[in-house]
Amino acid sequence: MPGWQIFYHELKDKNFEIVSVAQDTGGVKDAGPWIDKANPEYIALIDEQHLVTKLYSMVNVPTAVWINEQGKIVRPNEVAFVDDRFKSYSHMNSGPYLEAIRDWVAKGERSFFILSEDELKKRLTPVSPDRLMADTEFSLAEYLYHAGHGAEAISHFKEAQRLAPDNWNYKRQAWLLSDADRDYGTNFTKEVQKLNGKPYYAPRQMPEPANKPN
Amino acid sequence: MRTLFRCLGLIFLCSVAKESTGQVRRVVIYDDAATELHTPSPFTQSKDLWMTLAEFTRATGFVVKPQGVCRSELCFPLPKQREADFLRQSGKVTRFNLSEFARLVKQPVAHDEKLETWCFGPRQDVQNGYLATLDAPNFTLPDRSGKSHSLSDFRGKKVLLITWASW
Repeated sequence: MPGWQIFYHELKDKNFEIVSVAQDTGGVKDAGPWIDKANPEYIALIDEQHLVTKLYSMVNVPTAVWINEQGKIVRPNEVAFVDDRFKSYSHMNSGPYLEAIRDWVAKGERSFFILSEDELKKRLTPVSPDRLMADTEFSLAEYLYHAGHGAEAISHFKEAQRLAPDNWNYKRQAWLLSDADRDYGTNFTKEVQKLNGKPYYAPRQMPEPANKPN
Repeated sequence: MRTLFRCLGLIFLCSVAKESTGQVRRVVIYDDAATELHTPSPFTQSKDLWMTLAEFTRATGFVVKPQGVCRSELCFPLPKQREADFLRQSGKVTRFNLSEFARLVKQPVAHDEKLETWCFGPRQDVQNGYLATLDAPNFTLPDRSGKSHSLSDFRGKKVLLITWASW
């Protein structure tokens, strides 16, 4: 977050806003201290129900979407790091991504990094019935957890994870709310090892700014 | 003051009633909001979620009308030959089968049997609606101090929407 604050400060007078949304069932208790520490000038929201994960079919954090002045998506979900602290997971440099955002903020729809409608429609695919069911199980689990039924929530978190196996948000959130090894028979480190070289984040499909035509 | 005492008395009575019957209150989560149902269903043999018409409207915003099940401009006609699957009379009270309605409109349902809690997810056409227009799906969420913000508040600006998490 402190990195995004610096970046936002640079661009905030150019009709640009950052809306950050914490995907945290624990709400203010879990996300609040991080927001306090970064004290951002941009908008920092807290999403206990993981609504944004569901609405935008996200599977990981940090994930970003570019939205233009008319409220249209111009780049869908992709991994969005502001620095290279987690490069061992992302295998991507953050620099070119930030450069691309600067280009978009400066040039708008003339930016090299804006996707065509055809390309957007290719990348944004309809959700499957299984995915919708996973979202619904997750919502139920999240409600039960908040209603004081953390133990009963576990089977529904597990069902959400089974139906949406690629969704790391559903896994990591549930593991955090209980003893992952005891209740889920696994944990984050073990699951990452199981990837066995497969990327934890989907590679970003973005041309390097260096290759863009002048 | 007397009214206040009467209200407190009522609340007390209600909570005692709940304790004494030992029955779990049924909960419906619809459009991400939870509603408690206070009237037990007489159709105990049914695995489906039956509720009074008033409870149905309170939980979902939909109203049962002659032309179908409606919410503002949207109406889902009930198949005439299968009306009994949706509406059932018990004494003077008509009840509606929300589980059957969810099947009709292709809406996912998650259920916790022990806690009698039902969660209804979005219809597929609603969830995928933005794919045709590419309009960024709107949401309204609180900030650190509880103040609500909607994505649509920022129309007219470029927005970088970023998710993160503490975990």
